[in-house]
Amino acid sequence: MAFLDAPKPPTGAPVTSDLSIDETLLLHSIGWVPVDLVNGVSVYAVPAGVWVWSQGEIAWATEAHQRAVAAAVARLRRECEHVGGSGVVGVEVTIEVHPHHVDVEVVGTAVRPAVSTDAGRAKHRGPLPEVFVSDLSARDFVLLHASGWAPLGLAFGTSFVNVPRRSASTALQQRTQNVELANFTNALYSAREAAMARMQETALHVGASGVVAVHVSEGPLAFAHHVVQFSAWGTAVTLVADQHQRISPELVLSLDDRVVTFDARSLRRR
Amino acid sequence: MSTTPTGGDLPEDAGHRLAELGAGLFTSDLSVNEFLLVKEAGFHPLGFVMGSSIYHTGVQLRKFSTSQELTKLTEAMYHARELAMTRMEEEADQLGADGVVGVRLDVNYYEWGSDAAEFIAMGTAVRAESGESFRNAQGKPFTSDLSGQDFWTLMQTGHVPRGLVMGTCVYHIAHRGLGQALGTMGQNVELPNFTQALYEARELAMTRMQDEATELNATGIVGVRLEEKTHQWGSHTIEFLAIGTAVERTGEGVTLPRPTTIISLDN
Repeated sequence: MAFLDAPKPPTGAPVTSDLSIDETLLLHSIGWVPVDLVNGVSVYAVPAGVWVWSQGEIAWATEAHQRAVAAAVARLRRECEHVGGSGVVGVEVTIEVHPHHVDVEVVGTAVRPAVSTDAGRAKHRGPLPEVFVSDLSARDFVLLHASGWAPLGLAFGTSFVNVPRRSASTALQQRTQNVELANFTNALYSAREAAMARMQETALHVGASGVVAVHVSEGPLAFAHHVVQFSAWGTAVTLVADQHQRISPELVLSLDDRVVTFDARSLRRR
Repeated sequence: MSTTPTGGDLPEDAGHRLAELGAGLFTSDLSVNEFLLVKEAGFHPLGFVMGSSIYHTGVQLRKFSTSQELTKLTEAMYHARELAMTRMEEEADQLGADGVVGVRLDVNYYEWGSDAAEFIAMGTAVRAESGESFRNAQGKPFTSDLSGQDFWTLMQTGHVPRGLVMGTCVYHIAHRGLGQALGTMGQNVELPNFTQALYEARELAMTRMQDEATELNATGIVGVRLEEKTHQWGSHTIEFLAIGTAVERTGEGVTLPRPTTIISLDN
């Protein structure tokens, strides 16, 4: 982490960001500017054999995964602080689970209010405590801002659960039947409940009142078919205005032959 | 279909999380756009709800040259989806929701084993901020696969969603005999047995969907999708799935303003 201890970049240095022109303009419209592209990486070792010799939730793997994400996000935060950002938007989360390690990589753009003094920035940011991290696009950030909400951090939860095997006679008996595989369903449920509960805890921890745009990834692991994984992550948000500001959308009908409208989904990162 | 799953069969681990959601935190898989539009429609998200079932579909023999519905497989597809949907509805019910929006109903084939698939339903449970109840004729939270955008637009037209309705039919389409195949070689000709089989399967699926809507006292079904999938059954065995949101007209008049016409200059 030597980079983080390096001297701060001089003010007036060129800005690097992965925002599109539209997004940069939108940010400007609410008085914010991009600062720098920041990232956080963490590779966490998983002890050998945990996938095979375990029952119920695989605590080692789950913990390694949780810690890897927490470490990567913490580094992203530090890097954002280092370049003088107030928060990170458009964070792209890449997670790979391998038999012996978990790789987590988060990349996003640090942003800050355009006012130059620290006091002015603090005033502009309102009651938000520290550097926020969000996987929402800059466009979504602007929309949230306009309706009185603000992102706080990434809420994340994961769980790995070992699925008990069916006995050979049960499997044989069920071969031609329409039947629910209760062992799989139950394992998936316990993985899901644990993961979602962890996600909610991380959200409550940062004082959020909600988590939006939750993504889930679930299913058996490619290298261990009898282990189900469930991960859920989203952006923890809170209402910072006195009340929710209505957005009152207007209806438009495009008269273009080939409809070229601004498609909100094109800006989503996944 | 006779395969209605029994209620209250949530696997034991469900529920701890839902209790936590009462404490003023909501979770939602809605995008920011959808979240704001759902708020605009007068609803507040309560929680991300899900139901799933990993299901093993049975085996049914198919006759090579007979077009027929494979009732055992149809039942399996119904039962597994009902299990997933009912579990999702139970979670929403526990949260005291009026409905579930943005429902996605998927079938995932992972390495669960042969003939096994995961049927999963997920969506965001919402409650009306006005305190008015939007539950359907069966006293359950409504379900709808409409996006936040469509949900808002629908509400402006004096309609309310009543439930996600679906009909399915797994059909085996007969192979043609050698004589038939030879007889039509080199000719422009319709293959009536294929056409007939596809028609019948589709009709069955659509009718079943409409029956579900009638049970909910719906006045219409919007956003109907018709999907044809072979899953893992090989060619000539197809599942026809019709799925849409049953809606009921509750208000007079449309409060939707006339749309402004635009020509966009970007390209």
